[in-house]
Amino acid sequence: MSTKKESKSGKVVPNGTSKHFLERCASTNEYFDIAFKVMLLGDSAVGKTCFLVQFKDGAFLAGSFIATVGIDFRNKVVTVDNVKVKLQIWDTAGQERFRSVTHAYYRDAQALLLLYDITSKSSFDNIRAWLTEIHEYAQKDVVIMLLGNKSDMANERVIKREEGEKLAREYGVPFMETSAKTGVNVELAFLAIAKELKHRAVQQPNEPKFQIHDYIESQKEKSSCCRYV
Amino acid sequence: MQEENEHEPQLVSVTRIKCSEKTLRPTIPCILHFTEVTSVTGLEFLSQPGQEKTIRACYSLAWIIERCLPLKPDTGMEADVHNNSVPLENGNLAPVDRLRRDRSDSPTPGLVEGTEPGAGQDSAMFVHAQSFEDLTADGEQEQEEEVQVPEGGDRSERGPEVEKPRTEGEENEKMQGQPGEEEQEQEEVQSGGGRAKEEDVNSEAWRRHRKHVFVLSEAGKPIYSRYGTEEALSSTMGVMMALVSFVEAGKNVIRSIHAEGYKVVFLRKSPLVLVGVSRTRQSERELTRELLYIYYQIISLLTLTQLNHVFQIKQNYDLRRLLAGSEHLTDNLLRLLDCDPGLFLSAVTCVPLPSSLRDVVSSSLQAAKAKNLVFSILLAGSRLVTLVRKKDQYLHHMDLHLLYNLVGSSSSFREGEGWTPICLPKFNTAGFFHAHISYLEPASDLCLILISTDREDFFTLSDCKRRFLERLRRRSTYQALQEALLAPSYPVSQVGIPELRHFVYKSKSSGLYTSPEIPIPYQSEEEQERLMGLYQYLHSRMHHPTRPLRFIYHCAERENLLSWVTSGFELYLCFSPLGTKALAISAINKLLKWIRKEEDRLFILSPQTY
Repeated sequence: MSTKKESKSGKVVPNGTSKHFLERCASTNEYFDIAFKVMLLGDSAVGKTCFLVQFKDGAFLAGSFIATVGIDFRNKVVTVDNVKVKLQIWDTAGQERFRSVTHAYYRDAQALLLLYDITSKSSFDNIRAWLTEIHEYAQKDVVIMLLGNKSDMANERVIKREEGEKLAREYGVPFMETSAKTGVNVELAFLAIAKELKHRAVQQPNEPKFQIHDYIESQKEKSSCCRYV
Repeated sequence: MQEENEHEPQLVSVTRIKCSEKTLRPTIPCILHFTEVTSVTGLEFLSQPGQEKTIRACYSLAWIIERCLPLKPDTGMEADVHNNSVPLENGNLAPVDRLRRDRSDSPTPGLVEGTEPGAGQDSAMFVHAQSFEDLTADGEQEQEEEVQVPEGGDRSERGPEVEKPRTEGEENEKMQGQPGEEEQEQEEVQSGGGRAKEEDVNSEAWRRHRKHVFVLSEAGKPIYSRYGTEEALSSTMGVMMALVSFVEAGKNVIRSIHAEGYKVVFLRKSPLVLVGVSRTRQSERELTRELLYIYYQIISLLTLTQLNHVFQIKQNYDLRRLLAGSEHLTDNLLRLLDCDPGLFLSAVTCVPLPSSLRDVVSSSLQAAKAKNLVFSILLAGSRLVTLVRKKDQYLHHMDLHLLYNLVGSSSSFREGEGWTPICLPKFNTAGFFHAHISYLEPASDLCLILISTDREDFFTLSDCKRRFLERLRRRSTYQALQEALLAPSYPVSQVGIPELRHFVYKSKSSGLYTSPEIPIPYQSEEEQERLMGLYQYLHSRMHHPTRPLRFIYHCAERENLLSWVTSGFELYLCFSPLGTKALAISAINKLLKWIRKEEDRLFILSPQTY
């Protein structure tokens, strides 16, 4: 295992991220080349845990809502351009009383997935407050992505896609609508993050800069064309 | 101190009360007295001359009682009780000498605290909690110890069941320092999770629930209701608060209302008020203890410091906002209170394991320590495998039950690693610990809880877990442990007493109890609850504040029960209805011998520290 790691780390330019090469996946024995911390944020009950479980296990947590307690930490290794990227994903509790714990871990995160629920106006309205908090506590160059979750619940929609797009443009962050239930755009969100982070960490001199916005635009499924219900 | 006489009607004076059909608000002053006896019709209102509001107050109280207490009484089984009370010195069950004696020095080995089967060999694992008495000797008394008397100072003699309400000043004295973790952003409104308890509070079904629990703030705002939504109950809760506050205005405290087979119990824990309405046979003290658990459950999420702080800033704060998502924890705790003997016994049970195996697990945990690590707890389901603690730091079983409840109510720890602030209210109500919670394997029942004082410690503790697992695997204990857990309990037949169906044995000095698996006639949920209800009933009889018993033989309809409490242990036995008293008594010795023989396996005899 160590030989593999060394050969990789030899190839990759250590631009301040070399510490990641020393880490080893703790909960599984999968090997990886780079590790990044990704955090899921958003109000309570917008579907953060379901979103993560859909990505990690390809399953939907049906049944009654059980609030996450504190922070939940899980790993998943994805392959981006033949590089194994380990995403250490922090699933946070949306409740107010856990804010202080969440804050303490903001600054470690390299990417933040900020979710709202398209069927809940308050969760959308709170996005601005979340972004303010992010600017206060997170790293300056953190990758942020705005996600409108529960896109399968078209009948109960109260936030139009355009509203989400507008807000995202205002803050200059990529945006898409997702569904943790059907899996629409879930993997894409994580892959885009992984690609962006990987490009930042190991930029080859002759390689063009990765454009996360363009990548998402080219890849994403419009939720309008994949309502299976 | 405990010379309360329950039969003596007490005079509670009530002042400042305005009554209308819906609400009681303490605005228009009027004075009335009522006597509390045990039925609705017995509620008497004696008006002061010249006070014309009395009749309407009666009307409102009757309305309250009708609204809050429409529950049908349980059919009692009082008549079947045969008991053998043993006169006690001081009328108290607490050991006269609280110091533990050496096994060899004890005149009657096995019966005295510290020498009974299951007593720890070294220091106890839990707070030296002097068992039941310490905790619940008197719910109110305990409240005083906690809040008013910082160092166990002298308490002045009180009149029967009458307490002066605590003033704000006293409350604040205890609260020094700033909250460990302040959370003050208040701009966001929580959307709150869907609750599957939208029940019509005016329906018969709602009224028929065996036990209701309500939590409200001093401003009368609803915080929690076991059944039905809080919104629908806000006027009922307003009435409850009015009841509490008008009794308080008379420099008095309302503790309970007994009427037609049900009990309404009030627990005042500033800034919260907890109310239980029950038609079970549980005593007032048992119900108070359950409310206390609910109170501590709330404290464990917020800390008392933060709770006080929030209500100091805004008296009419809606606490549901801070507690959002925790309702299922309280729901689950209430279920545990009905079916887990550990909660009324104030004890913890452990997985039966060969002591050599348990020692290896303990020492592996002991080795995986970190600077700020205070407790390492390994659970299998709701049973303890082992617990390692920092020297001189003790975990209270109540705190451990709250941890069980947290782990048991949440499925999310199974996959990943959880990290959450938690206040252990019996340790310190002012600050948060931080708990790393994870299952050793997603499919396994083994859950490891590591408790640290540092909120930045996630990775440190994650590493502790890794080291612990590695060590277990290296010593090939992990496999052995998994195999041992295939049978997490033992059948009662192992004891070899044919008529014995089930038993609970608690060693007082170690705070641990052991109990075989629930046998067939009691496996359904209702039957299990019924059995626990019987145990609980015996427990409350034996720990009665004024007429405690040592020995009870109870012939119930479908089983015979025997319970015995000594200064060293508490024992509850359940026999088939065909068993006789003589047989039951002879079974005790046999059972005690068996437990002594198996104590290495059933108990944690040598608790470890880092």
